[in-house]
Amino acid sequence: MTVTHSENQAARGRYGAPPSLLARIFQNPYAGALISLLIIGAFLTISQPVFLTWGNLMNVVKSNSVAFVLALGATYVVISGAVDLSVASATAASAMIFGFLMLTGLPAPVAIAAAIAFGALLGAINGVLISYFRISFFVVTLGTLSMFQSFALIANDGASISVFSAPGFKMINTFVNGNIGPVPVILVFDMTLLLLAGGILRYTAFGRALYAIGANAEAARLNGIDVKRVMLVVFVIAGLMAGLGSVVQVGRLTSAPAEVDPTLLLTVLAAVLIGGTAFTGGEGGVFGTMIGVLFLGVIQNGLTLSGVSSFWQGMVSGAILIMAVWLGGLRQLLRRRRQSAL
Amino acid sequence: MNRTVQSNGNGRDADPIVRLVGISKSFPGVRALSDVDLTVRAGEVHALTGENGSGKSTLSKIIAGLIQPDEGEIIIDGVASTIASPAEALTRGFVMISQELTLAPTLTVAENIFLGRLPRTRFGTIDWTRLEEDARVALDRLGVHVEPHALVSELSVEMRQEIEIARALSSNARLLILDEATSTLSEAATQRLMALVRQQRDAGMAILMITHRMPEIYAVSSIATVLRDGRLVATVPLPQTGEADLVRLMVGREIKDFYGKRSIAAGETVLRVTDLAAPEALLKPTCLSVRRGEIVGIAGLVGSGKAEFAMALGGAIPATGRVEVDGRPVRPGDPRHCIDAGIGYVPDDRKAAALLLVRSVQENFSLAWFDRLCRRGILNTRREKAEVGTAMHTYRVAASSAAVQISTLSGGNQQKVILGRTFVRKPKVLVLNEPTRGIDVGAKSEIYRMLQDAAEAGAAVLVVSSELPELLGICDRIAVFFEGRIEGEFDRGNASEEAIAAIAVAGAHNHQQRNTLSGAMS
Repeated sequence: MTVTHSENQAARGRYGAPPSLLARIFQNPYAGALISLLIIGAFLTISQPVFLTWGNLMNVVKSNSVAFVLALGATYVVISGAVDLSVASATAASAMIFGFLMLTGLPAPVAIAAAIAFGALLGAINGVLISYFRISFFVVTLGTLSMFQSFALIANDGASISVFSAPGFKMINTFVNGNIGPVPVILVFDMTLLLLAGGILRYTAFGRALYAIGANAEAARLNGIDVKRVMLVVFVIAGLMAGLGSVVQVGRLTSAPAEVDPTLLLTVLAAVLIGGTAFTGGEGGVFGTMIGVLFLGVIQNGLTLSGVSSFWQGMVSGAILIMAVWLGGLRQLLRRRRQSAL
Repeated sequence: MNRTVQSNGNGRDADPIVRLVGISKSFPGVRALSDVDLTVRAGEVHALTGENGSGKSTLSKIIAGLIQPDEGEIIIDGVASTIASPAEALTRGFVMISQELTLAPTLTVAENIFLGRLPRTRFGTIDWTRLEEDARVALDRLGVHVEPHALVSELSVEMRQEIEIARALSSNARLLILDEATSTLSEAATQRLMALVRQQRDAGMAILMITHRMPEIYAVSSIATVLRDGRLVATVPLPQTGEADLVRLMVGREIKDFYGKRSIAAGETVLRVTDLAAPEALLKPTCLSVRRGEIVGIAGLVGSGKAEFAMALGGAIPATGRVEVDGRPVRPGDPRHCIDAGIGYVPDDRKAAALLLVRSVQENFSLAWFDRLCRRGILNTRREKAEVGTAMHTYRVAASSAAVQISTLSGGNQQKVILGRTFVRKPKVLVLNEPTRGIDVGAKSEIYRMLQDAAEAGAAVLVVSSELPELLGICDRIAVFFEGRIEGEFDRGNASEEAIAAIAVAGAHNHQQRNTLSGAMS
């Protein structure tokens, strides 16, 4: 018992002093995205005077809120070590249900609740197949990607459902496009959701189990975590967020589109990746995902402001995705090098 | 530093194959090596030893061309040189076999042995006939019984290691670096490897053996270099330097009572196992009881079912049979149920089954009991931090803080975290699968003490181990597995390495036969 103190000191010498605040920020997985975001922001502020106006920034927030909601759910899935490829399709399918219910004249809150419940049901289908039928998440969600997409087309024979004239639309419109003073309602909503999602990850047994499963599912299982149930819940959450996302989407478009937004899945997964949540699982968080969504949103906004054709935007965001992952890989490589020395 | 550089052990005057002089290497925030010298000669087994984190792996990686030194000279065959890449190391005949296997699991044994230098026909296609013949020769030379066309993925870890060695030996190596190569091998396979090392040594190969297992060092080495905290402590001749002195050089202090001592007698039966079997694994119906305060060892070869017995008790694999803790039945094969019944299980493969490598020390520590920190699903992180801090102190985990990633800790400290977190629940039964695998001597001794303390506090302790000296050192009773079942049991008094090994290798029946035979002959 006498060596404890000196051993601890030796360890401190060997592993270095506790990191400073600045160092801790830079060690965050999303540090790269955050710095790039600031640089691009500064560049756009100088080159495009419109960029740094409240209206434009809020526009960025509004036009990315669907992706943001889905990306929060996707972050959970990726932390657990899986991927949900079906979220964009599930959004389209939920949107159709939501559209129909709005047209029946149901009060908006009931229709919203139903859309979310339907999304959760779709997520549960994924979750049950993955957890209890032991099919790989990749196979399952690739399959349901296609099935949910089909469902959205079948629902109204390939036509979109306009909800503009629905009795409950006014409320939906306020939710998605309205303001409280200068602040958009959706921004308040997004931030509340972010805090909730972050809080669950950090301060609940469920969040802890999620990270444990992503880091080492067998270790989690041996320590008594019900891995199957947690994975089911994770996919239900992803579906639930798809349902919620469908409400925001319908509100923004004033109709439920039968077609799946072709860039949505890429944007969602790219935002999670850029935000530093590694696809190997067990790491990351929703704050990084928010940075990721903003990063992609600001770039798109910048390209639009600079008058770059929308045809080019996919080229740019794809290249940025690859670059961000490459930078993330570099960071991990450096860290591994350092660890292998010990 | 008392630096006693000895020229060589047995007065051999072979020229050094490689000499490292004044090697230093820093990584961001860490000085891994400073001013280290090492000379490796042909026909000599040189043990490179020291605790985890002492820099021995870094040094061996420099010779294998995996990393470059910041300072110092590398002299190969008397000429100052560099080893810029693993490929260059290979062309010089420097081959490293590390703990992490580098085989391609989806290829065959033969393809793996000759990967990168597959024999060709005149048309440039692969000459499969010759490949198989050559592979058979390489395998026979090692005494490995495996078909050259078998897939590596179907082989045991042990077999894979031997394939790796076959690959190294068939590549005209003249310096073989064994980096903890025996850490995953059973006793018998280790013996085979040691025999092979001797044979290669006598054939003129230089062998640098990185290990902290004392029996191996003394079995084959004639010289040992000891590192501590990245510095050269001493290079000493063997076996002139005794084991106690070598350990002292490694840890920088003397370890008294290596295995610890206990003063309590065993009480009533806590764990009663009846016909526990794992139909999909190697375990046949097995019975065993362990009493309060007792430490029972489980010996046996790899594949004897000893590991599976522990895994079945911990819920790691599906199992059938009856397990009772304090008379209450436990459902085997269900980890949650096992934990609730008071069984604490520590798996043998730290990385694969125990550690959350990318998470913090704190999260790894609380993994086994964070449910106790929750109220209605909300985690009390402040209490977690405080309790983890206390536990880290109690179990002497050396880390700069609880917030660092667990992967930055040494193997010994990682294992202390895993044992510590299991102890927090005060389990009535502890099931430990190879608790000291790949850990340095200092940490080993501390872990033995943890087990003794747990037994003294009233736990029934089961230790599965491939290291017989350790079982003999800490156990009150040792059960020996052979072909899926317990074939022999020894009390502390009548247990010996020879008796245990005899049963482990051939079973009880053959053992008796042989005893009568040798009795009749003498």
